[in-house]
Amino acid sequence: MQEAKETSVKISVEGLNAWFNTNQVLKDISMDIAEKRITAIIGPSGCGKSTFVRCLNRMHEVVPKARVTGRVLLDGEDIYSADVDPVDIRRRVGMVFQKPNPFPTMSVYDNVAAGLRLMGVRDRARLDRVVKKSLEMSALWDEVKGELNKSGASLSGGQQQRLCIARALAVEPEVILMDEPCSALDPIATAKIEDLIAELKKDYTVIIVTHNMQQAARVSDYTAFFFLGELIEYEATRELFESPADKRTEDYITGRFG
Amino acid sequence: MVRNRFQKEMEELRKDVRKMAEHAKNGVETSVLSLKNQDVEMAESIFAREDESDILNLGIDDRGMKLTALQQPVARDLRFISTMMKVSDNYERVCDLTVKIAEITLKTAKKPLLKPLVDIPRMAQTIIEMIDINTMAIEKWKVDEIGVLNEKDDLIDALYDQVYRELLTFMIKDPRTIDDATHLLFVARYLERIGDIVAKTGARIHYMITGERIWIK
Repeated sequence: MQEAKETSVKISVEGLNAWFNTNQVLKDISMDIAEKRITAIIGPSGCGKSTFVRCLNRMHEVVPKARVTGRVLLDGEDIYSADVDPVDIRRRVGMVFQKPNPFPTMSVYDNVAAGLRLMGVRDRARLDRVVKKSLEMSALWDEVKGELNKSGASLSGGQQQRLCIARALAVEPEVILMDEPCSALDPIATAKIEDLIAELKKDYTVIIVTHNMQQAARVSDYTAFFFLGELIEYEATRELFESPADKRTEDYITGRFG
Repeated sequence: MVRNRFQKEMEELRKDVRKMAEHAKNGVETSVLSLKNQDVEMAESIFAREDESDILNLGIDDRGMKLTALQQPVARDLRFISTMMKVSDNYERVCDLTVKIAEITLKTAKKPLLKPLVDIPRMAQTIIEMIDINTMAIEKWKVDEIGVLNEKDDLIDALYDQVYRELLTFMIKDPRTIDDATHLLFVARYLERIGDIVAKTGARIHYMITGERIWIK
């Protein structure tokens, strides 16, 4: 498909197919994802967009009877080759989900530190540093710095989602996948997350799945339109929303179907 | 087909812009005819038309803003709505210029015209054809004829030059004609401006239909 312009390629997807049992949900997807840019994936329900991002950090295969073929190159290396540890891939390619899902029994601090502790980091000073930095990057630090010990579940929905972003950032990933990160949030919390996403692209490659086309238009540099498991159109965001090349894209984004 | 109400509102917008095009066309036709026939009453009808087109243009702008704010149009819808607002504005400017021509009719109606008008009505006729091309392109969502606008605009420019040179000879021969000749020169100048505006409107319509910008002088 089209190549990402002006910047290097972080992820290159080649002939990706995915199944749930016998049901093929992704059909021969090929696309390059630009480094330190925001790529939005849009499309109607069931078009395969969530499955697609879950293939990018080997999350699809954790579903029973789910299967993937094709190649996903992260910095040129196939994440599906036999000698690759999926756990390492999931550290490098972090994920934020639709509903904020902080670990409910853990404090704010422990939520953010959880990933590092799993990796065996015990150095308190280092943990402190990473927790502070991650919370700052997720624009939550100022709101929680006085109460790092309170439960993560006691935060508001928007704060919880930023906490989950901080948790994802703490393990220093290279790519962040976001699956409908704002769908459970009000417009103010959504605006904060969108601002944050724009900040994140300074350091990270961000891929965001969204039902909200205005959100894709607002935050992303590139947009891919998926329909019935196929990649229909993939372009610079302004191009896609101003003059889409494919009639199906046009019909979808103008609300004529979907 | 979903978003029926939105579709209906866009259709209303299209109809209003069509009316705006009719105002512009009639304005050009009537103002030049009033000048040619030295018909004061006809010239005065232009002023009322101008008021109507002002109100219509405001309404189009308002409807376009409302649709943009409430429906968040993208792709062809966005190009359509923004273009309708722009086309309407352009035709409003055309109507403004036809008022200027009507004012010249009022100034010159008391004594015989300096010369029979030939090229100026041809300019007007060409403009009317250009507006029709724009209207058909919008109605059919096809750009086929838009390319012709360039030729027609060239023709208008050539007619303007011709009128200019002709009037200059009058003024050189007899300075007493300067007042009348200048008035006619202004009319030709206004029509030349209108030709430009209508051609540029066509370029915008081309963008609306194809998503590609083209350059018309």
